[in-house]
Amino acid sequence: MRLAREDRFAQIEPLLGKVLHPARYLDHEWGAQEQQDGPFHVCMIYADTYEVGQPNLGIAILYNELNSAEGISCERAYLPWVDMSALMRERGVPLLSLETSSPVASFDVVGFTLAHELVVSNVLETLDLAGIAIAAEDRDEDDAFVIAGGPSAWNCEPLAPVFDAVLLGDGEEEIVDVARCIRDARAEGLSRQEILLRLSQVESIYVPSLYEVVVDETSTRWGYAVPKKGSGAPEVVYKRCIPDLAATEPVAQRIVPYMGIVQDRFAIEVLRGCARGCRFCQAGMTYRPVRERPAEQVIEAVTDGLAMTGYDECSLSSLSTTDHSECASMLNLLNERTRDLGVRVSIPSQRLDSFGVDMASAVSGSRKGGLTFAPEAGTQRLRDVINKNVTDEDLERAARNAFENGWRRMKLYFMMGLPTETDEDILAITAAARRVLEIGREICGRPRKGKGGVSVSISVAVFVPKCYTPFQWVGQLERDEVRRRQQLLLQSAQDRDIRISYHDSDVSVIEGALSKMGRKGFEVIREAWRRGCRFDAWTDQFKYDVWLEAGRAVGVDLEEVATESFDLEARLPWDHTSPGVSKGFLQREWRRALGGVTTPDCTMTSCTGCGVCPSLGVSNRIAGDRHAR
Amino acid sequence: MIAMPGKPPIGKPDLERLRVRFGKDGRLAYLGHLEVINTIERSVRRAGLPFSVGNGFARRMRIQFSQALPVGAASSCEYYDLYLTQHVEPTQALAALAAATPLALAPTQAAYVAGRVPALEAWLTRSHWSVRLLGMGDAFEPECLDEALVRLRERGSIDFMRGDKPRTIGLSNTLVSWEVGSCAEELGMRAIDLSLDTRSSNLGALRPAVLIDAAFAQECLASTSLDSMRVLRDDQWHEGEDGGRIDPYDVSIAVRAR
Repeated sequence: MRLAREDRFAQIEPLLGKVLHPARYLDHEWGAQEQQDGPFHVCMIYADTYEVGQPNLGIAILYNELNSAEGISCERAYLPWVDMSALMRERGVPLLSLETSSPVASFDVVGFTLAHELVVSNVLETLDLAGIAIAAEDRDEDDAFVIAGGPSAWNCEPLAPVFDAVLLGDGEEEIVDVARCIRDARAEGLSRQEILLRLSQVESIYVPSLYEVVVDETSTRWGYAVPKKGSGAPEVVYKRCIPDLAATEPVAQRIVPYMGIVQDRFAIEVLRGCARGCRFCQAGMTYRPVRERPAEQVIEAVTDGLAMTGYDECSLSSLSTTDHSECASMLNLLNERTRDLGVRVSIPSQRLDSFGVDMASAVSGSRKGGLTFAPEAGTQRLRDVINKNVTDEDLERAARNAFENGWRRMKLYFMMGLPTETDEDILAITAAARRVLEIGREICGRPRKGKGGVSVSISVAVFVPKCYTPFQWVGQLERDEVRRRQQLLLQSAQDRDIRISYHDSDVSVIEGALSKMGRKGFEVIREAWRRGCRFDAWTDQFKYDVWLEAGRAVGVDLEEVATESFDLEARLPWDHTSPGVSKGFLQREWRRALGGVTTPDCTMTSCTGCGVCPSLGVSNRIAGDRHAR
Repeated sequence: MIAMPGKPPIGKPDLERLRVRFGKDGRLAYLGHLEVINTIERSVRRAGLPFSVGNGFARRMRIQFSQALPVGAASSCEYYDLYLTQHVEPTQALAALAAATPLALAPTQAAYVAGRVPALEAWLTRSHWSVRLLGMGDAFEPECLDEALVRLRERGSIDFMRGDKPRTIGLSNTLVSWEVGSCAEELGMRAIDLSLDTRSSNLGALRPAVLIDAAFAQECLASTSLDSMRVLRDDQWHEGEDGGRIDPYDVSIAVRAR
């Protein structure tokens, strides 16, 4: 039911003294858009706590775009922590937006960003707390349109019954198109169904209710989606792609939170897309092509952004910042400008080579904390399978360079359960760590007592096959086998200066199942939420057994789903949406993976035929020259 | 002579030390101390003032704050000392800070103090609080609150929980005086004002909410309900050796302290 738009902060205020971190619910942050005149109102939601959702750059971009569009206002909402939501339910207070404390159920459009698979139960919890029907088909004519986008929208089928529309690809123009389409259609007096039909004609908008699922001999057990007869909806919805990142507003993050948030710094997106072609990486396939922001635009934006926000740290954010063709000059100029202001410049990860270490040196100054590299696999054979184009020599050179430049702690990221992986690959992970440690000790010496020595930390994630990657057909490694390999890894370390951490195999099973399921997955999610699952990305809240029971209750074995392989020729549950990467390319990449054949980065060599540029009418936009390296 | 308890000042002799008074009001009363510190530091950066940066590992702004205010408590008299590398007219500095700070934390006064006066956190030892209690039952009488506070002081200390950790605060030194007002009405609820004067030391500081909770647990008030309370710190001073209260901007003190 659509609620009235009114300020209801007075209902929240008495609860602030009774909950953890009341700053989550305060609003009035510096830079928040206080004028919310509308008359068309959108609420963007990150379905987790404020401190997790507020740093999201995607929401910040959409928030600015909507608020600068004529006649449209945009607010934010986050999911209250369990203490607050319990109090709100007890006192009959619905979920409120931050800027005006209006009920979320009073908005015209409610938009979710799906940042990862485990957010699904929180989406249901958010809608329920807001008083909005969870299933799109149960919503009234006047109810808000519930839309979604973001990295995990690529297989949104398990949540398809929830969303009126899903935005695929770059959202900055798309979100405004959607808001305008709904606003104009409302003004014309169109029915909800007519508005959905009109939305389906907007570029890159997927309207799930206009598709039906067909299960036949050409599909997996989850079937495939086809447009309903007479709907006029496209057979395949392609993503929206901004051709030139430099033409977009570079300063997205303008709101300065009061409380500490997970990435508490000014962030600027220096490039979008990555063409390195790691075969496990969904973002690498779905954000193509590569579009760089010119260095001078980045520097100007950082200068303006720091002055506007007052942050003392800025992050040059992207999938692979050190691949930016003007990375070195950009970092040096930024350092020069911020040297006397106590401002720290950071980059999210380093390329595994000497250039990566040089860039890390450029941003760290005299502060040498830990340095992080991601070889992803222990042997050259497996790195070739996953197309991680680095060698043992690269790792050794990078480690030597880093220790010589003053670092003492090294962190290495690996994955477990990659296709074709054997025990030899697992043992090679600790062997690589030992080699790095030896290099460190050779350069830095080995102090008699623990302090001041070198150390290596290994973090090992469980590989989860994701849609639109060359590994989308493979099954996830079974949970018991993951545990056996984790033990093998632990036992092989044998040096107290090598620290090992690994991901919870239970969480990975649910993540894997959610990545694979089709539309029927909604029944599992709804059942799990009814049984109390929420905040599944929080270790202390995740309930593996409840998820399994919920699956069984609706006839789905989640462990079996996660480990199931698909036939290479099968029609997949997500085939009706496309990031532009062709299925043929992904199949070819899978075959090359099995043969251990690598594929180069098209920004450094020639076209590798992924299909994005011709199908979307775009191309890589490199500011300088990547070949010059 | 003024004692110099706690941390020494962080400024170098050639730095200007600007003392700023600010409030904490409205919904921002629910900010924690670290959240206030971060917000003020970012406000200073936005204001474009020539702040000094330390040379330590983290290269932080040179700034010192007065004692932490409890989450949920408002204030009209919080302070920070900001070290500047150049002299800026206090009125200009105040205007720049006001333009760059959220309204509910707005600065209200700025003046330079001598570089070598003691750090604010330990130096401001006396606070005055105005507390409004809301939603007491009909049976509540102001005398009962007074009686409960007398008994507490006679007992000498309060045991309470902060999070899941047990704590004890002595009252003989921290609770200086109080005054219970008469009953009034607010939002359809019974209300009463309580005026509190407290003292802090390195043994601890008395939080009004801890005192009120303990008072309502006393036998004379145990059956009385309390819906909520509003706490405002409305003055802070340094307590001199003679027991006199010294204003944070008292220039003569600054001079004597050199």
